[in-house]
Amino acid sequence: MKRTRADRAGKRAFAGWIGKRVLGGILTVLLASVLIYGALRLVPGDPVLAMTGGRRLTPDQIEALRHRHGLDRGFVQGYLAWIGDALRLDFGMSTNYQTSVTSLITNRLGVSGPLILYSAVLAVVSGLAVALVSAVKGGLVNRAAGMAAAVTTATPTFVSAIGLLALFSVGLGWFPATGAGTGLADRLWHLTLPAVAMAIVAFGVLARVGNAAFAEELRREHVEVARSRGVGAAAVIRRHVVRNALAPMLTIVGLLFASLFVGTAVVETAFGLDGVGSLLVSSVSRRDFPVVQGIALIAVLLFVVVNTLVDLAMPFIDPRVALGGAGR
Amino acid sequence: MLAKKTPAREEAPDGGAGTRRDALGISRLSLAVGTGESEIPLLADVTVRVGRGETVGLVGESGSGKSLTARSALGMLPRGARATGGVTVSGVDVLAAGYRELRDLRRTRVSMIFQDPRASINPVRRIGDYLTEGLRARGVPARGAAEQALDLLGQVGIRDPKGAMGRFPHEFSGGMLQRVVIAGALSTEPELLLADEPTTALDVTTQAEVIGLLKEMQRAHGTGMLFVTHDLDLAAAICDRVYVMYAGRIVEESAGASLFGAPAHPYTRALLEASPSVHGGRAEIKAIRGRPRALAEAPSGCAFRDRCPLAGDECAETVPAHRPHGTSLVACLRPEQVTP
Repeated sequence: MKRTRADRAGKRAFAGWIGKRVLGGILTVLLASVLIYGALRLVPGDPVLAMTGGRRLTPDQIEALRHRHGLDRGFVQGYLAWIGDALRLDFGMSTNYQTSVTSLITNRLGVSGPLILYSAVLAVVSGLAVALVSAVKGGLVNRAAGMAAAVTTATPTFVSAIGLLALFSVGLGWFPATGAGTGLADRLWHLTLPAVAMAIVAFGVLARVGNAAFAEELRREHVEVARSRGVGAAAVIRRHVVRNALAPMLTIVGLLFASLFVGTAVVETAFGLDGVGSLLVSSVSRRDFPVVQGIALIAVLLFVVVNTLVDLAMPFIDPRVALGGAGR
Repeated sequence: MLAKKTPAREEAPDGGAGTRRDALGISRLSLAVGTGESEIPLLADVTVRVGRGETVGLVGESGSGKSLTARSALGMLPRGARATGGVTVSGVDVLAAGYRELRDLRRTRVSMIFQDPRASINPVRRIGDYLTEGLRARGVPARGAAEQALDLLGQVGIRDPKGAMGRFPHEFSGGMLQRVVIAGALSTEPELLLADEPTTALDVTTQAEVIGLLKEMQRAHGTGMLFVTHDLDLAAAICDRVYVMYAGRIVEESAGASLFGAPAHPYTRALLEASPSVHGGRAEIKAIRGRPRALAEAPSGCAFRDRCPLAGDECAETVPAHRPHGTSLVACLRPEQVTP
């Protein structure tokens, strides 16, 4: 009887805790949106002049532009109008392409989405595999893996992109140098080099952090106890090492996912892909503010959503994570 | 960490303590890590015997090698350690056993209870998972394992065993967790139970309960027990025989009860005088001068001689051999000066 009452209280506390996390996420996005919108106003001089890049415009044209971007209104009013539209997924019109920012971004997500997923899968699978093997084997294997992690972490994405292009597409001709391809197989083939280029840094981070997490779990006494009970070596690794390292690993993977979204800017430019990242780069150079603002807001949103999901998953992965933040 | 088997190992000499009928026979076990100049000896000539259903104490200060001795029965030697001598559990040669043999031995014949139950159980898995893990490893089907686990939890006095199965370690007190660990250790019906200071991490009030439970379960299952502790009073109270260890060697073997009345080794007497007692008069508590030694840093001859009030020049010459004195076997040249 006691147990059910405790259960009910527990469920209420859990619902409240979820509510708090979600609310925190929303607040973060709103705060970031103020900064993103404010960036337009922080442009030195007149934002409209910055946008037009010094072309000669009639006063009427300037006034029309000012009105279109809400610059004729005050900061608060302008922001409210912008965020109100953004909540309905309307980020305005691109000044460069003269089409809606939303359709511009969604069209390009067809390239960037698979690229990010592909890259994340590569990085997570290879990084965690290397981390686990090196932690379990120790010795020379561990040192070699540590060096590989250091080198890959320190290699900038644009360098690995150029290296991969030179070797596999110009040299060996195994993979195309540009374009995103059509159809699933062709797209995967086209996206392989860019995905690898993006995954290299992430691989290094995961291999290093994962190695530390696995090594720490391997040292725990309950691992030794499990061995002393005659639990097989593979089962010990699975149930007592990998299972226990899941929580820190998931946190890192969540952060990584968002950073891969930002990483598309370099890789898509290097490989000539029409994705969100290259759109961001070209829009910045063409001062296409509505597009830049839209992409920035989506990046923040992605970041917050992924991390909130990771947070929400934590109590299920590690039951000691107390609900409501009061740790044991 | 498991040590790799080394060809340096010698066969157990004849007349060693291990016979087929014993739950545990450790004979002249020596352990060392490193090689050549940097070799560090850990144990020397340790001989310990635990009969079926017998309770044997292994007493000593920290660093004396008592946990190491207990772990050798599981084949859990320090990484890179070389062993000479013999370790047999129910007739199985532990030092010669490969991965599979050791695994099967641990699944069926030996269980160990560690000091801190909170560290012994994986904190992210449920109590039920912990209990059934040992049973499932033995090949018990899932449903049967769950039923047996429930039964065991009831036996060790956990209220609401059904609910407990689904709960996590952090929802239990240390005493309750040690009961769960005991249930897990007995689930495989071992012939030998190794208890490594099973009550040290617990509250005093739960210590007695856990000891009582351990003895009761041991009697019910007919299990031999090697009880590792630094608490001489406790060892004398519950053990049939007691081994006293100092600096990686056994210095005295004695019947449990006679340890108080007639300690044969100066170290045993010093340990007794160093522990406060509520039974005797208000005798002065005497600390042992010096600090405990590990085998690697012990003086030549008798390892205890630099702390011993009775030590003479001849103590430095050789390691004293074990010889009978009263009801004890003692490695001392002049036990008659300890207890006439």
